[in-house]
Amino acid sequence: MKTLTTPRPPAVAATRPVTSSDRRRSPRTAAVWILVGPYTVFLVLFGLAPAGYALWTSFVDNGSFSGGRDWAAVFHDYRLGDAAAHVSTYLLLWLPILLLTVLSLAFTLHARPGRTTSALQLVYYLPGAVTGSAAALLWLFMVSPDSSPFAPLLKLMDVKSATDALSGGSVIAVLTVMGVAVHAGGWIVVLYGALNALPKDVLEAAQVDGASAWRTMWHVKLPMVRTYVAFVLISSFASGSQVFVEPTVLSTGAPGQISPTWSVNQLAYTYATQDGDFGKAAALSLAMLAVGVLAAWIVITRTRMYATDSSDSR
Amino acid sequence: MKRWRAASLAAAAALVLCGCGGTGGGGGSGDAKGELLVWVDNTRMPAAQQYEKAHPDVKMRIVTIPPDAGYVPTKISLANRTKSGWPDVAFLANPAEAATLASQKFGYAAPLDDLVPKSVRDGFTPGSLDTCTFGGKTYCLRNDIAPTVLWYDATLMKRYGYQVPKTWAEYRQTGLKAAEEHPGTIVGAVNGKYGAGIYFGSSGCPTRDTLSLTEVHIDLDGPDCTRVADLLQPLARKKAVTTVVPIDPGFAKFGKGDKILMLPAPAWFGDFMFGPAFKVPKGRIAAAPMPTWPGENKPFAGQVGGGAFLVSSHAGGRTEQAADLVRWMTTDVNLQAKQPTYPAFTAAAKKWGEAKSKDPYYASDPMPALTAAANALRPGFGAVRFEADWQSSFNDTVVKAVDSGGNLRNSLGSWQDKLEAAAKTSGYTVG
Repeated sequence: MKTLTTPRPPAVAATRPVTSSDRRRSPRTAAVWILVGPYTVFLVLFGLAPAGYALWTSFVDNGSFSGGRDWAAVFHDYRLGDAAAHVSTYLLLWLPILLLTVLSLAFTLHARPGRTTSALQLVYYLPGAVTGSAAALLWLFMVSPDSSPFAPLLKLMDVKSATDALSGGSVIAVLTVMGVAVHAGGWIVVLYGALNALPKDVLEAAQVDGASAWRTMWHVKLPMVRTYVAFVLISSFASGSQVFVEPTVLSTGAPGQISPTWSVNQLAYTYATQDGDFGKAAALSLAMLAVGVLAAWIVITRTRMYATDSSDSR
Repeated sequence: MKRWRAASLAAAAALVLCGCGGTGGGGGSGDAKGELLVWVDNTRMPAAQQYEKAHPDVKMRIVTIPPDAGYVPTKISLANRTKSGWPDVAFLANPAEAATLASQKFGYAAPLDDLVPKSVRDGFTPGSLDTCTFGGKTYCLRNDIAPTVLWYDATLMKRYGYQVPKTWAEYRQTGLKAAEEHPGTIVGAVNGKYGAGIYFGSSGCPTRDTLSLTEVHIDLDGPDCTRVADLLQPLARKKAVTTVVPIDPGFAKFGKGDKILMLPAPAWFGDFMFGPAFKVPKGRIAAAPMPTWPGENKPFAGQVGGGAFLVSSHAGGRTEQAADLVRWMTTDVNLQAKQPTYPAFTAAAKKWGEAKSKDPYYASDPMPALTAAANALRPGFGAVRFEADWQSSFNDTVVKAVDSGGNLRNSLGSWQDKLEAAAKTSGYTVG
């Protein structure tokens, strides 16, 4: 049973006087509403309402019902297949690498606490402090052999110019490295915080039982921070599948190298801004939303993300 | 338990949704206050301000816009959505966007045939307004044009004992010889709009021949296209042409290392690329007309770049004012003579060239070649709504073949397929 309230036999509750139950419940209900209220408002205003409007836009064109025309047009667009392939490849490369980097660095930090740990945390976090378009510009220099501090490495990989680094399939590699560097730091801090909050007695018990650092990590720490890992996954999947800023800005550095419809989100943006077709843009955005929700749902149910301590059979 | 599942779904939805954001709107409508709303890029700002000063009776609001590809269509698309906020005059740093803005879907660009007298329009360089013309109507005025010429390093030519080629056959011969005798030397760059605009554009290969706003002629099977493939094939094999984009900082190593023997490129390369970007010292670069294609005696020029001005179809009572501003900005000889790039207006180009002729950067006066190129723009290079795909599909097919040593003639077939798909998606019928 997964519920926040303590399980109580219904029979006992029924025999209780009504007034006593009310007195006990109302402050709790109020607290719940205070905590959930602002979130609900934001969800409706900036989540559900725009999604509803997008649904309307994708079916109604100039006040008349357009049927599934926009949807059909989107799924028949030759650019969608390419864009979806690009994004899936990117996710397949980026998500595992990101997750492994985050987990290994966070666990290493936690396993060897010391003075250097906090300094290292900052170091890991720093690349994440430069995000979005600024990061893309920074990386444009990183992949240009003439200005990059990694010029010898680039030369080794036969990259002679930024054109080389950003043309064809190599752009996915650049985006992956970029994505990991930008996103890993923040998640390491989050995960390290979660590890620090783990009950000391459990970890000590493992130590007393003679568990190695590896076993402690694998069998004790990881299951306990499972929900955080799930959160990292969902958020990263959402941002990764909607990758937009990085390819857009990288393409300004080497125009014509990266297609303006490289990612699915860019395609939706192109529909709205260059084709003036908001119906198709809305349809594609909703399709993206469906993919994101589905992925999130799978992760949440698989990791029992909302399982609470009381119901968790540890 | 069900409740929590629903909540988790909602939470997941929120997480996904939070990825979307919007950029703040700029501009706003000039309507309410009756002021003339003008969008220009940074370079055109002083000119717009000069007009404002000269016309104290015209209430103007000048907004600076970035010269980024797609910026103006993006903003106009949003204005169309909200049905307000259109600029009365807009400058296009990418004139191909005129095809988007004049299209029925956007309905932004107003035809200028009745607003700008024919005598004025006739003063533009022949063929330069083709970019603005769809189905017989002119939707924009060109500010500047970017005809291609054959830039070459006069010092290297002399040192190596080569002649400046007059035909593409000679060009190929010289290129192969240079690659053989002086390894690393390049005679051209094939990438994106540079490769497609310079070589295929000057050959008259119909990659984007706009017949109207809804019809485009694309046919890469003809000899006008295959001869370009045949020209580039051996040069690519010997690495006499590079696939590095000229605006890539990495291109400078060719200039610094005395490796640029020739570079067919647009007029603006002379002032903005060879010195500042490629670091070629002064007194070396000179311009020759483009080589001629077999069976022709006129050196036709391709095009890469240039700007244009549009008047809004929503300007209402300010339409006349808007048209007057556009006319002045593009045709005022004194103003245009001071512009950084080759003016589209013939009289202004002449005056502009007087200063250029004396520019000590060049090994010899580049104006004869530039003027000849401006007067020999190859017809059939139209403004299309699939400009970005035109570039990336060229890179995906022809440039890829150049890079990998593939057969260029064969790559034309796949380029044709991609161009057709892009054109159809943009609402064109392909003929």
